[in-house]
Amino acid sequence: RPEHRRQTARFWRENRAEAALRERCLVPAEEYERFAQALERALAEHQRREEERILQMAAEIREAERRQRETVQAALQKYCSFFLNRTQLQTEPELRAGPSVCRHPPGPERDSPCAAEQPGPSGMQTGPDLAWMESGQVLTFIGHQETEGKGNIHTGAKPPWLTEEEDGSKQQIGPSYEEFLKHSEQ
Amino acid sequence: MSFLLPKLTSKREVDQAIKSVAEKVLVLRFGRDNDAVCLQLDDILAKTAHDLSKMAVIYLVDVNSVPVYTQYFDISYIPSTVFFFNGQHMKVDYGSPDHTKFVGSFKTKQDFIDLIEVIYRGAMRGKLIVRSPIDPNNIPKYDLLYQGI
Repeated sequence: RPEHRRQTARFWRENRAEAALRERCLVPAEEYERFAQALERALAEHQRREEERILQMAAEIREAERRQRETVQAALQKYCSFFLNRTQLQTEPELRAGPSVCRHPPGPERDSPCAAEQPGPSGMQTGPDLAWMESGQVLTFIGHQETEGKGNIHTGAKPPWLTEEEDGSKQQIGPSYEEFLKHSEQ
Repeated sequence: MSFLLPKLTSKREVDQAIKSVAEKVLVLRFGRDNDAVCLQLDDILAKTAHDLSKMAVIYLVDVNSVPVYTQYFDISYIPSTVFFFNGQHMKVDYGSPDHTKFVGSFKTKQDFIDLIEVIYRGAMRGKLIVRSPIDPNNIPKYDLLYQGI
């Protein structure tokens, strides 16, 4: 292309390279086109590969988390049944028969199971551990709250009680015009 | 002696409650009436409401009827309880990931009463965030996912 030819010529003159080499350096239009296309393709390919890699890593992390959770739950099962047996023997009056003592909290792992490992029965030991298990409530999940860009409390959006509602009614303060006329006629 | 807690069924009513309750902690329980853990919580709220009537006003809100609020407070688990004082949202550090609301039910009535007292005293001193007096073992645990991360 002409532009390219001119630039090459100028570059050659400025750097005083061998004139013969210059011709060889000119890139014809089709070559350039081919190059551009190949570049696009290579880029797309690269992006696709990156995406795949990321998804792969995400899947691996999920898998690892799942395995961790299962290990914790298995451990909890053992401790739950262990303590249930012990307290049934001790018949503690404060023990509430609440909703399923052995709930598995859907949260991150905690150190509390280790506290149960201490040897020797003592009234104090069973109390706090049972409390922890009892507050392992299974909470109903109602879905992620999509706000479609409006923001929420965590992003510092305007609170709903400060936003005016368009309910279509004119909000007049004080008596209406008709009532005023009636009043003035009295 | 229990009584039925009043319910708020629209955005307007919730707005009204937030803007009009003065000099008392406003407690809004977001959940569903037929949910198991909500029932537990509602029971505690109902039984303590009378004794706390000088310090707190309690309302129940169904998450389906006020989507604006459900979205604003990012309520993913129910029940979720939000506290206000004089129109200001009160945050509480429970030792859980989210300070903007209490997720789940309280273990005992005393836990709830203690919490209300702490919020009330803090708010009267002008604080916007207070530390929960509840034993962290008694705080329900949950996964905090923000937009699927």
